[in-house]
Amino acid sequence: MMKIKVTVNGLEYERDVAEHRTLLHFIRDDLGLSGTKEGCGMGECGACTVFLNGKVVNACLVLAAEADGASIETIEGQAGSFGLSDIQKAFEKNHAVQCGFCTPGMVMSVKELLRHNGKPTPEAIKEAIEGNFCRCTGYTQIIEAVLDLTGQGDLKGELKHV
Amino acid sequence: MLYEFRYRAPKTASEMIRLLDDHRDDGKILAGGTDLLPNIRDGNIRPAVVIDAKKIQSADSIAWSASEGLVMGNAVTINDVLRCREARELFPVLCDCARQLASHQIRNRATVAGNVVNASPCADMAPALLCLDAFAVLESASGTRQVPFSEFFTGVKHTVLKAGEFLEKIIIPASAAGARGYYLKLKRIAGHDLGIIGVLMVRRNNGIRFGVSSAAPTPVLVDGMLDKDGVDAAIVKVLAAIKPIDDIRASGEYRAFMASTYIRRLWQEIK
Amino acid sequence: MFDDLKPEALRYVGKSEKKVDDTEKLTGEAVYVSDMKFPGMLYAQVKKSPHARARIRNIDSGKAQAIPGVRAVITGEELAYRLGLYVVDKYILARGEVRHYGEAVAAVAADTPEIARAAVEAITVDYEELPPVLHHMDALKPDAPLVHPDLGSYSYVAAAFTPKPGSNIANHTKLRKGDVDKGFAESAWIIEREYSCPSVQHVPMETHVAIVKWSSGDKVSIWTSAQSPFTVRNLFCHAFSLPHNNVRVIIPYVGGGFGGKAGIGVEPLCAVLSRKAGGRPVKFQASREEEFSLLPCRSALTYRIRTGISSEGKILAQHMTMYWDSGAYADYAVNVTRASGYSASGPYEIPNAWIDAYTIYTNKPFGTAYRGFGHVEFHWAIERHMELLALAIGMDPLEFRRKNALRPGSRTLTGEELTEHSGSVLKCIDTVAAAISYGKITKEEAGREKRTGWKIGKGIAALQKAPAMPPFTATAVIIKMNEDGSVTVNLALTDLGQGTYTSIRQIVAERLGFVLEKVKISFDCDTEKDPYDWQTVASKGLFLSGNAAIIAAEDLLKKAYAVAAEVLHVGLRDLGHDGDKVFLRHHPARSISFSSMAVGYMMPNGNGIGGPLIGVGKYIAQGLTNLNKETGEGHPALNWTFGAHGMVVEANLETGEYRVLRIASAFDVGKAVNPELVRGQAIGGMMQGLGTAMCEGYIYDKEGRLLNPSFTDNKIPTAKDLPLEVECFVVETAQIDGPYGARGVGEHSMISVAAALGNALRKATGAEILHMPIRFEDVWRALRNKKPIDNWITKSPLGSCRSVKDIPSVAD
Repeated sequence: MMKIKVTVNGLEYERDVAEHRTLLHFIRDDLGLSGTKEGCGMGECGACTVFLNGKVVNACLVLAAEADGASIETIEGQAGSFGLSDIQKAFEKNHAVQCGFCTPGMVMSVKELLRHNGKPTPEAIKEAIEGNFCRCTGYTQIIEAVLDLTGQGDLKGELKHV
Repeated sequence: MLYEFRYRAPKTASEMIRLLDDHRDDGKILAGGTDLLPNIRDGNIRPAVVIDAKKIQSADSIAWSASEGLVMGNAVTINDVLRCREARELFPVLCDCARQLASHQIRNRATVAGNVVNASPCADMAPALLCLDAFAVLESASGTRQVPFSEFFTGVKHTVLKAGEFLEKIIIPASAAGARGYYLKLKRIAGHDLGIIGVLMVRRNNGIRFGVSSAAPTPVLVDGMLDKDGVDAAIVKVLAAIKPIDDIRASGEYRAFMASTYIRRLWQEIK
Repeated sequence: MFDDLKPEALRYVGKSEKKVDDTEKLTGEAVYVSDMKFPGMLYAQVKKSPHARARIRNIDSGKAQAIPGVRAVITGEELAYRLGLYVVDKYILARGEVRHYGEAVAAVAADTPEIARAAVEAITVDYEELPPVLHHMDALKPDAPLVHPDLGSYSYVAAAFTPKPGSNIANHTKLRKGDVDKGFAESAWIIEREYSCPSVQHVPMETHVAIVKWSSGDKVSIWTSAQSPFTVRNLFCHAFSLPHNNVRVIIPYVGGGFGGKAGIGVEPLCAVLSRKAGGRPVKFQASREEEFSLLPCRSALTYRIRTGISSEGKILAQHMTMYWDSGAYADYAVNVTRASGYSASGPYEIPNAWIDAYTIYTNKPFGTAYRGFGHVEFHWAIERHMELLALAIGMDPLEFRRKNALRPGSRTLTGEELTEHSGSVLKCIDTVAAAISYGKITKEEAGREKRTGWKIGKGIAALQKAPAMPPFTATAVIIKMNEDGSVTVNLALTDLGQGTYTSIRQIVAERLGFVLEKVKISFDCDTEKDPYDWQTVASKGLFLSGNAAIIAAEDLLKKAYAVAAEVLHVGLRDLGHDGDKVFLRHHPARSISFSSMAVGYMMPNGNGIGGPLIGVGKYIAQGLTNLNKETGEGHPALNWTFGAHGMVVEANLETGEYRVLRIASAFDVGKAVNPELVRGQAIGGMMQGLGTAMCEGYIYDKEGRLLNPSFTDNKIPTAKDLPLEVECFVVETAQIDGPYGARGVGEHSMISVAAALGNALRKATGAEILHMPIRFEDVWRALRNKKPIDNWITKSPLGSCRSVKDIPSVAD
């Protein structure tokens, strides 16, 4: 066991953790922030994507011990007292959520993208969320949410009635 | 859920050497963790001690100088490389390979050093390091040694690293700056995947060389080719150097075919 | 329940309203079973078989029992309970013999997951390896080992299924229509081929997980990531001989199902561990690897089709034999066989048909329902077959499809006559053909070909599916009015993300005439508080529950009107209402608010009348019948949803590499209740179909060990794998008995995507591919006439092609 101190969504936590505990299980089980999901435990699916010191990582491939002193951001820190964040609102407006299990990680990856790129092309969006599997949506409405949010709503598709 | 181990995070190289020396048989170095932790999770390896290389000062430094070349500490991530202006401008083929490695989240975490120390045949950074004459600086209680990557890989998941020794930094010599080329990687899907076959072609000082991944027990370097030899000779030479196998990703036959196809494409495109 | 309303008259139905569960899911507040913890909860792990088939000589769990923190260790010997939806053939843990790689042989519950894992590793199992039967075609050989020697003693639903004891055939579905011999005799061409596809995994992002607490007095509470609370309860109670009112099943948010969480899953395992651990709650969550081999997959299929065609290009006879590989258990897979059997020709009229569909046991992970319920697999075959038939007789594949497509007046395989209200596959085909400029290469495309050196090809594939369900499938919806006049809706259909709750909310608001904000759908499903629903499967949810919701809304209004009539001293017929009140239509000022009646109206003197307003709606499928087991005649279809995909691919003729440039999909949904949700289903299913078409599939070694039970080697599509352009269309031929004319479309988008890809690739490259998935190497091999790669997912003998006349050269 070792003692670690982390800042999660702006709040400081000091906890004893087992040295082999992953950051994912620390966040979910020790801090009770279960919005971050586990889809594979192997860094393949991206359901556990969180910010670690300002960069998105798969929390299943980080040790809690390594994060000592780090600043972490999870899905629970996105909506403020004025409601959903802009990214969350865009997801809602564009029907970008189905089962919701990939959604928290997806929102994190989109946030990282938009920090570096204010008007991403569809290709840039695909590149940014490539590491986030979604089995429900087929990704299109997620990509459209990002396009819509960045003033490119004209690239959105729609259901056509014959 | 990982298997139990102790975690150590040395702050200096000498502390690292001491720890490694103490845990020659049961210690493992943690860099990005993107290979190590899945292997511990699966029980493929069960280290008693995991030694984090990232807390050593300047382990995450990537720096260019005309005298030394591009020096990358062992905690430099793939995205650190892509964010480094000199790497992008002077070593575009290094960045080509980096861009094709896994997903964005993994690239934020996986290190160049880890990619080569892991010594998978499909290591995407290896073709670039091979073609750019990069070498590894290895540290241990008995001192420092430098090993060019052409001599670094000894087999599937095996390198020249000895017990108690660690890769401290990777250096790409300044003489390799400006080398032009491109990395073609065949995957099962367009998204992140291990390579079925990867071919990097690099032109340097009129010489042509190829770095090939997923085609032999180790990443392969084939060099010493010239334009006038022609592409057919190059293909013969590369095919003679690789030993592609049948596995669930593809047959050896298809791998060999795609290797030669990629060589032909690259030969035409990279003038 | 279709009223011929103009779209302008509808306030919510037909509008892309926001989803009811978005906020919870976007903020991380939505709690899935994987997120749940209870006081005293134990964690379960299972010991799995490394062999495909072996006799269990002995299990030594002594060391495991002795580990501190271990609270229960259990083996199959203690558990004589059999489970199954249609054929009751599966134990909770293997007893006596293991039947597939990855099957659970023992389980542990412990204080922490780590302790449970250590305990599982401390269990030793002494196996006597037995020769497995791995390929389903080998399982039919007379000397094949029997996977279930006791098949004759299993109980099963006799009205629908026919097991063959003494063989590996878990079910034989037959269909005989017309006179095939005569049809073939009259045919100008007879063409026969065989197609195959491998087992694939559903890959819900949340793996199977349940928490079960077996309390004193055999009261059992189950929290589970499942599709169908009442079916979990029913099968559970049958297995353990418990009264139904002893068992409570709760389903909160579910991280994807796709059929893999239909029926019953890991709940019984948690239950027996909880019972043994003195009633402490036990949680089991499958790892991703276990999701592939411990939990069920989709069955593999080998499909042989012989077709007789007239000189005018009309299909006269078709002989269809389906060999479904159910793996080690067939409890659900038998119904995939049955449903596929009666739909086996796809959306085409076959006057003379002969179908044998077999469910075959093998020593592999077992098959279950998967989005499309067999239709993805057999449409792969049928729609490749239609293409190859057309080419063989020298017709354009589109024209050949049009000529043989079902239309009003056609009779389906089971003899049902289609009407003008049944939906139109022709419109779907024509729509997608136009969308992709089928049959020509546009100027832009020609330019692209020149630029890339890759060839562009276009293909079309059509589809049909009806819900596969018992003929008496029923559901109910309850609408409860709250004190402020808002309503809360209860139903046990689950919303796995597909959005049915959002559509039901729109339907309820529409029918009540309330603003949407006044209608809430209660999210968690609870068998003790929600009314019955059979299962969330089969694309029947919107249809059945939507109808029940309409009836419940009307019931609520009727009850409110009764109170209002009494209060206002008027006749019922003179009343009207808006979102807030019931009023006298002639004198609208005389009114009474819903809120004042919601829980009971108080007269001026304090007397109460009415009472809580609760609307109840139930709906049962109408007019469906069991099928004649010899001929297949009958009415199995609640409704047919038809559709088609048009695909544009570009391919490299040298290497077999290809890329999907464009896909256009059209479905006759009757009415798109929420267009963006329809689109979400259309694209999501298309991508899932594309994944299975391009790269997914189980690969085994020769001993039956699964080689790719992970995301490293069972790739699923990422955002980068999207076709460059995706277009979705709906045809709206109203279904007379559907809610606002709607029919289901949850599964259909996945069907025929693979065939569209195969057809487009053939056009682009000439490669005739008869097996899925189509990897680059498969195209390359086909182009060079090389044998398919020898592993389980490509093991398909090539079909034969013969003609009673000379086959005209294929002018293509």
